Amino acid sequence: MTHSTDNSAGSTVGAPITAQQQATRQPLLRVDDLHVDFQTYGGVVQAVRGVSFEVAAGQTLAIVGESGCGKSVTVQSLMGLIPMPPGRIHKGTATLRGHDILASKFVGGQDIRGREISMIFQDPMTSLNPTMTIGRQIAETLEVHRGYSQSQAFNRAVELLEMSKIPEAAKRAKQYPFEFSVGMLQRAMIAMAIACEPAILVADEPTTALDVTIQAQILDLLGDLQQETGMAIILITHDLGVVARMADDVMVMYAGEVVERGSVDDIFYCSGHPYTQGLRLAMPSNKRAEDGGAEQTLLAIDGSPPDLFNPPTGCAYHPRCPHAMNVCAQQAPAQYGLGSTSASNQGLSHQAACWLHHELCAAQKDQP
Amino acid sequence: MSATDLTQADFAALPRQHSADQLSRPSLSYWADAWRRLRANPRAMSSLGLILALLAFVTVGPMVWTVDPSVQDVDHIGISPGADRQVTLTTPFIPWEPEALTPPTPSTGNPLGFTLAQSATTQSVRLTWADQDSPRRLYRNLFAPEDTGSFGLPLADLDTPYFEDRLDLQPETYYYTLVALDAAGEESETTATLTIDVTRVISIAQAQERGLIQPDESAEIGQTLKLAWHPLGTDYLGRDMLARLMYGGQVSLFIGLLAPLAFVFLGVIYGSVAGFLGGPVDQAMMRFADFVVALPFLLFMILFKVVFGIGPGESGILPMLAAMIILLWPAPARLVRGQILQIREEAYVSASKLLGATTPYVVGRHMLPNTLGVILVTITFQVPSAIFTEAFLSFIGMGVAPPTPSWGAMCNEGIKSMLTRPHELLFPAMMISATVLAFNLLGDGLRDALDARMRGAE
Amino acid sequence: MLKYAAKRIVLGLITVWFIASATFFGMHAVPGDPLTGDKALTPKIRANLEAKYGLDKPLATQYWIYLGNIAQGDFGISYTQENRRVNDIIREHFPVSATLGILAIVFAGVGGVLWGALTALYRNRWPDVAIMFLVILGISVPSFVMAAISQWSLVNLNQTAGGTVLPIGGWGSVWHMVTPALVLGLSTMAYLTRLMRSSMLEVVNTDYVRTARAKGVPATQIFSRHQLRNAILPVITVLGPAIAGITTGGFVVEIVFAIPGLGRYFVQAIQQLDYTVIMGTTVFYGAFLVFMVILVDLIYGLIDPRVRVDQ
Repeated sequence: MTHSTDNSAGSTVGAPITAQQQATRQPLLRVDDLHVDFQTYGGVVQAVRGVSFEVAAGQTLAIVGESGCGKSVTVQSLMGLIPMPPGRIHKGTATLRGHDILASKFVGGQDIRGREISMIFQDPMTSLNPTMTIGRQIAETLEVHRGYSQSQAFNRAVELLEMSKIPEAAKRAKQYPFEFSVGMLQRAMIAMAIACEPAILVADEPTTALDVTIQAQILDLLGDLQQETGMAIILITHDLGVVARMADDVMVMYAGEVVERGSVDDIFYCSGHPYTQGLRLAMPSNKRAEDGGAEQTLLAIDGSPPDLFNPPTGCAYHPRCPHAMNVCAQQAPAQYGLGSTSASNQGLSHQAACWLHHELCAAQKDQP
Repeated sequence: MSATDLTQADFAALPRQHSADQLSRPSLSYWADAWRRLRANPRAMSSLGLILALLAFVTVGPMVWTVDPSVQDVDHIGISPGADRQVTLTTPFIPWEPEALTPPTPSTGNPLGFTLAQSATTQSVRLTWADQDSPRRLYRNLFAPEDTGSFGLPLADLDTPYFEDRLDLQPETYYYTLVALDAAGEESETTATLTIDVTRVISIAQAQERGLIQPDESAEIGQTLKLAWHPLGTDYLGRDMLARLMYGGQVSLFIGLLAPLAFVFLGVIYGSVAGFLGGPVDQAMMRFADFVVALPFLLFMILFKVVFGIGPGESGILPMLAAMIILLWPAPARLVRGQILQIREEAYVSASKLLGATTPYVVGRHMLPNTLGVILVTITFQVPSAIFTEAFLSFIGMGVAPPTPSWGAMCNEGIKSMLTRPHELLFPAMMISATVLAFNLLGDGLRDALDARMRGAE
Repeated sequence: MLKYAAKRIVLGLITVWFIASATFFGMHAVPGDPLTGDKALTPKIRANLEAKYGLDKPLATQYWIYLGNIAQGDFGISYTQENRRVNDIIREHFPVSATLGILAIVFAGVGGVLWGALTALYRNRWPDVAIMFLVILGISVPSFVMAAISQWSLVNLNQTAGGTVLPIGGWGSVWHMVTPALVLGLSTMAYLTRLMRSSMLEVVNTDYVRTARAKGVPATQIFSRHQLRNAILPVITVLGPAIAGITTGGFVVEIVFAIPGLGRYFVQAIQQLDYTVIMGTTVFYGAFLVFMVILVDLIYGLIDPRVRVDQ
């Protein structure tokens, strides 16, 4: 992140507070007890089982978890991108500035998607219409939400491509997706997503399909744009490196549930859930493992993710958990508040859903 | 269920279980999974049942229904299914002597005095009318003239006040119309129409000849008998429709099944040779296939048929098969070549080779199972088109040669008498449609079942 | 693009040459040479044919004469009708077939895209089930049966109406074209509907449609700009074969509806073994179809940017 563009309203520390924010003193997006399931041939898959979180303006929330843990389903259900049927949001609420976005995506007759919340996807190769020029696809958003004319929208699209650091933007805007490289396509996707200056950008594994150098460029671009526009980012990833680089707050999901949440420092330096610890130990690092002792080998988490047709009773992680106790197999743990490491924590309070933080357990054993 | 009820015991370490590694659903092989998916598809399964039923119809059917498809039943020409089989014994035909008759006198309701002279039978319909100077024209129709606006078939222009109709009489209702002609020979407005029900009769000698009564059996005039049974009626030559459908089905299904099997087989060999050899040989082989593909298929089928001709006593089945095989192999060849080229590059083939797999093993374990599904689906979809081709060629008179029946040829014959005897067209058309439908649905089901992308979905 | 078009046209010409040669040698392989066979020829036709084809000359010479004639667009003289040139027959009858064919292909194309899109949108609900049932029927019933049944229905319709609602056959007014064009286009429409449906179902679940949804593009605009346009592409690629199907299907429909088109004439020529007409029309139809396929491919290239820029 550079501070060279610091003439804008954005500040370096904490969230830039807009007038509206101050008036309502509400988080931008609040999700409460979200449940999503899918009717399939094999039965009902409970993909999301009671997820709650908040996103504040200008902040980056990373949602972390392994494949199939429900992180994509969570945000796609907020965006109304889950095909229903077979999908179903059977419980929970989600409000954007107090407006219920699960009931209706329209505020004042206008779709919030693309205007208030926009989204970029994992695979830019397939996420753009192959028979439409890049410029037209970006322009389309502006025509829909801003009522721009075709030429107006196209000119703005070229500017947006320039903002996304695409060289020869005017020429590139007239080209089709297959003429772009993957990295360029992801930049174009980002240009499309920020076209209407949304309050929230949802990035669903934005760097997974890219090679490492391009990943870094894309993450830098996202960071810069956040600086310039003050938008919030919800970043979905299974890459803890990306989390460390981008996130303010982190939410760790396992088997459709939130197992731990907190600031990025909480999660990395004092993780309170065995699953988060497992993830951290499975992450390659160029540092000597100071905190874990002498271990230098990567540690895989034993076993495989649970079958969401039939999630385990109690804590979903207990069959793989090295600290599993009798109670873990019987009852689902509540969220336990943990002390925070960062002093000026504006984000989420540190919480973990694990019996290890129960007072009886704490009395019996040491912290893991 | 609250945390306050917990005791210290609940926080004892849980013994390690390895249940997490167990898969909760059984793993299925590709073919077992495909078969399970096919079985779960009611449309595919019922079409499979229909195909088996059709095969049984043409193979087992002739053993059960042993009527010769080429024998003409002259008493039963072009009858519909379920037609009246009753026949009345009568005296042999005696020539009519109408001169002895007194012509009827005209009345106000019937200015021409048009009447039936004797009861109408399939032997003859004898009509008479008032004797006047101007000539009369007599028509016969199977439909009421006021419905169709036509008097039908003109039988004769007559100066005499009588007429005996013996032309191809069937036990049906006929509408006879008599029209008075003016001096110039033009039709006048004066007409009369008789509605006549013709009864089927047969002489004792004829009945004995047909085996309806034994030679030594006594029979009386007026006694009713039952003619041979044709459950689906007969065609325009009096041949049993059911038997012809069975034998015709043998021809149609023979061509419809064998041709795709043969040209897909040829195409698979050609395509896999090209795919394996690669390089310039592959290029040359595929260029040739491109040319054959570009040929308009049906035009060349017709050309082949004209060129080969059909000699006397030949059915014309083999030239049709040959032409189909010669013209249609390139499509499966291209398909298989593409598959082979694609699979050759797949990581799992490379992995297999790295582990020391021999070429035959790679072919048998990877190439074949992965192309077999595509080939199977192709064959299934080629069956309807082969059956259509046979029907099309037979319809334009370029298919199997008469008297060999095929469903297409039967349609061709049936279409000529469609308005009066629709069953002659409808039955073979239904057989074709049922077969084509069944193979299309089975093909759909197979494609869905074998499509690996669909595994686990829905 | 131009280079690609030129390449396709040259390949097309070679294919036509291939067709012409196959036709020529095929016809000359008929036992007893078609032109000197046992069919009674009037001396006048005989003299014309000999002058035209040099029948006394060796086969190779005849072949060159034949190719030369075809290159000049001359298909020769009818074998059974005195002094009637095959060119005249084609000129007289082909426009009728072409009119019928164009109507049928328009009907099939528009209907196929519309119904296909509709069934995909209403997937597994009653409009889908109903249309797909009709489609399966359309695919399973041979065209001549469809023609016969529709003619039979027309007879009944006219009877109950007590007049001519639609003519049951013949050619002349627009009304004569309606039923045959519908019948001719029906199986192609059914086929295109199926294709459009599966193509549409694939498009509906693509990532770029999801992107459009995430952009807040209204559903109707997603349908017209993103789904329809991409789903139509595979339908266009099969229009070439569809035109071939409609052309040969026309033979049957023209016979059943007594339409004086080239198809009916061709079938009559086959039945009368009018060799020169068969050869002439086969080559003509062959060339026509080959170039229609090329035309469709070129049009596809104009529509699909991926092809356009590649070549």
